[in-house]
Amino acid sequence: MTTNDSRLLPDDPRLTAYALDELEAAERAAVEAAVRADPALQAAVTEIRATAMQLEAVFGAETAAAAAEPGAKPELRPAAILPGRDSRRANGGDYDEGKSGGVLLKFPRLYFMVGGLAAACFAVVVALRRDELDARQHARTVALETAMKDRAAAARSVVVQMPLAEIAAATSATAAVADSAPKTEMAAAAVASAPALSADRLAPRDLSLIGQAAANRAPKTVTAGTFTFSGTPVEPARQREAAAPPAASAQPATYTSNEAKIRGLAANAVGGVVLGSTGGAAGGIAFDTFTVAAPGRGGIAAPPPAPADRLHTGNTESYSFFRDNPFVGAAANPFSTFAVDVDTASYSNVRRFLSLRRLPAPDAVRIEELVNYFPYRYPAPQGPAPFAAALEVAEAPWAPQHRLVRIGLKGREVAPEARPAANLVFLVDVSGSMNQPNKLPLVKDSLRKLLGKLRPDDRVAIVTYAGQSGLALPSTPVARSAEILAALEALRPAGATNGGMGIHLAYDIAKANFAADGVNRVVLCTDGDFNVGVSSPGDLVRLVEEKAKSNVFLTVLGFGMGNLKDGTLEQLADQGNGQYGYIDTAREADKLFVEEVTSTLVTIAKDVKIQVEFNPAKVASYRLIGYENRLLAKEDFNNDKVDAGEVGAGHTVTALYEIVPVGVETPVVVGAVDERRYQAVAPAAPGTSASGELLTVKLRYKEPTGEVSRKLEFPLTDSGRRFPEASADFRFAAAVAEFGMILRKSEFRGTATMGDVIAWAAAGAANPADDARGYRSEFLDLARQAQELLKAE
Amino acid sequence: MFNSTPNSRDLPHEDSGFLETLVAAHQAPLVRYATRLLGGDADRARDVVQDTFVKLMGQPPAALNGHAVEWLFTVCRHRALDVLRKEGRMKRFEEGQAERVAAAEPRPGRTLEQAETQAAVLQLIDRLPPNQQEVVRLKFQNGFSYKEISRITEHSVSNVGFLIHTAVARLRTEFAAQRP
Repeated sequence: MTTNDSRLLPDDPRLTAYALDELEAAERAAVEAAVRADPALQAAVTEIRATAMQLEAVFGAETAAAAAEPGAKPELRPAAILPGRDSRRANGGDYDEGKSGGVLLKFPRLYFMVGGLAAACFAVVVALRRDELDARQHARTVALETAMKDRAAAARSVVVQMPLAEIAAATSATAAVADSAPKTEMAAAAVASAPALSADRLAPRDLSLIGQAAANRAPKTVTAGTFTFSGTPVEPARQREAAAPPAASAQPATYTSNEAKIRGLAANAVGGVVLGSTGGAAGGIAFDTFTVAAPGRGGIAAPPPAPADRLHTGNTESYSFFRDNPFVGAAANPFSTFAVDVDTASYSNVRRFLSLRRLPAPDAVRIEELVNYFPYRYPAPQGPAPFAAALEVAEAPWAPQHRLVRIGLKGREVAPEARPAANLVFLVDVSGSMNQPNKLPLVKDSLRKLLGKLRPDDRVAIVTYAGQSGLALPSTPVARSAEILAALEALRPAGATNGGMGIHLAYDIAKANFAADGVNRVVLCTDGDFNVGVSSPGDLVRLVEEKAKSNVFLTVLGFGMGNLKDGTLEQLADQGNGQYGYIDTAREADKLFVEEVTSTLVTIAKDVKIQVEFNPAKVASYRLIGYENRLLAKEDFNNDKVDAGEVGAGHTVTALYEIVPVGVETPVVVGAVDERRYQAVAPAAPGTSASGELLTVKLRYKEPTGEVSRKLEFPLTDSGRRFPEASADFRFAAAVAEFGMILRKSEFRGTATMGDVIAWAAAGAANPADDARGYRSEFLDLARQAQELLKAE
Repeated sequence: MFNSTPNSRDLPHEDSGFLETLVAAHQAPLVRYATRLLGGDADRARDVVQDTFVKLMGQPPAALNGHAVEWLFTVCRHRALDVLRKEGRMKRFEEGQAERVAAAEPRPGRTLEQAETQAAVLQLIDRLPPNQQEVVRLKFQNGFSYKEISRITEHSVSNVGFLIHTAVARLRTEFAAQRP
């Protein structure tokens, strides 16, 4: 440890800048060194951050209060009509709507009105600019009538029931066109996030095109992508256009602007609130369905009612899109490299979906996390290495001509008594969104369970983030568990979510109480919905990456549903030397905090990478099943700077490769190259490729606090086993992988059905010794559930 | 459930919807900001913000790429100072003077329903010199970085750092004194 030789005083502006994360890298490092050496500075930093959090909370509350306050309606002033510049601006009515829709639900109705009008006013401005006023150079103002305000408020809450006609009728100027105004279906159609204005002007056929265009604008993640407009043809605005005199400069300005305003309002009102209602009409399940797209803005993520019950709209869960790994030619690419992953979140999340009788979003299914959810009976390591590898190969059950290779790693077990002392910081999200029975109460329940498994010499601190200030409980030995329980009990949900400040503070406290040779870990409990402060996922991930260098590990626990930000949480765990679990039930809390508590707490190796080298004499092509977001370049394997996965005590890690043997017709292969023209391909060295070995597994890992990696190697020869001859673990893992592929609707799922999955898994779970805790029987139930849902689809 | 407002600063600034998003997300914060700069004159503040958005429309979105929000606050501030200057109210901003002018009573029309601590903290903040209040709010209410604040307010980065440091230090001790 360095000393505070820069003589930094607690009253130095640089310290404040450091605490607020405002320093450039070089200066930050200097200050950090000083802080590390000086407890007074640490205290100051902690206090500055607590103050900052309090300020953010107070200002945040002020902002919210001001918005709800009758006196503060900046938006209600007359809207100016401005000369236009760019006609494309006009389509924003629906766009901001998604946003305000998000906030609005939290505020009183009055705010609905204000917000709606604000957006509407703006829609007026731009609509006019585009359509009617291109020629006009002067701004004019239009007053909003009180009647319209009330109508707008009404429209906001009951939009679907209220035909646009009524809104139109509300203003005298447009009464004439009311009879040709659209019906409710129009409202539904507009939800398709077709730009508000265009929706008004185009015929139904065009609308669907717009829908498509909107879908294209979205990332590829919109899976419910077909925009079918069911029901009554929509003839809204065209007729209205016809009825209304064409906008000419002779037209009184007030008239035109009112007309446009109504459109703005209508489109607006529809955009925001209908989501739930249309969904409800479609399948009665809108309430907690999910969006697959993570476009980060409301406008796009609202497809109209999908025909089936897989309506992906209505709330804000998000999953990152990924594509299944393809087959890769072994001759051109003999190396396959990836970081191990012991996350299990995807499995519990899939379970949650299925228990609600719904199929999960394909991108919520990460196969490696399903497979790794289950413990396997791989032999424990002997000798000094922290790992043993259990390799096995047999027929791939879903493609009998292919081979399936299982790479199983088993980490060294650590007896609970032998576990080093733990210094834990619970970082608990107590924002308003956590106020649900399956969130904060489950967090408390889980942490109580964990507390029950800790020893008196372990230490626990509790940091909250949200409206309340930071430190709920200073680091306290578990011997004083009454205090810890009381602090835990006192946590109340309130306010918005600023993950960034909380993370700073939690790591500070973990560092201040650092247990040398012990377990130093921040346990983050959240629904992942960070919405204040450093809240872009990128910034958070960078922050955590930086913090991970301090040898404090991270456990990310996702809770609840509705706005789970799965991708963000997974990334945080990956970059923060951590693991990601999803706790859907008290039972899952038992698994992580009671049954596997030592694995959860004690990391035995970090940056664990696997590189498999295939023998091209045996292997035509191969495919890694799962681990899509864990792939590394082959050069990364030997580069100790490249971050990879952590493995806890006793953890098993399983990876599966599907292999196309030489001589078998191979599916489409990625990375196939033409034969080399100038470089003779070196003939296989005798004794290697001719050796009969199928592949070699190379493993690199670092000790938990080490910086230099070590390497282990394990070769594998194929003895030609058929699937039924394989071990129970092998068959069960294969069943879980196929289960995932079917749920992902993967093109590689082969010929097997969910019925096959159930049969294989049943065989793999037959011996009670393989399923001591009942996880495998639970899987069988889930597979049956999925089978029914798939049939119904 | 619906409390995830995407941070508009993270949105890619494609031109479609760009402007509308900015207005929806930042109109209210800008009006609040301008109101404070103008010593509580909310009507003037709305004019200023309106002018700001008019100016925004004249900007090619590409030119603002990545710092549109900062741009809005910068232009808003300039406009507000113009207004003050024209009306000879500039002294409000001169240092030293500040304390008295800004030790504002709760704003008129403001209902004090919020938790008392909340109000107390706001009062403490209101007692800071105006230039500190401004940067503190830009930092903790609007989420700008030192650099962004420096560009908005035309203080140097280190001056921004000093102002925030001084304000935070003072608030820290005052918060501590308030605790039972």
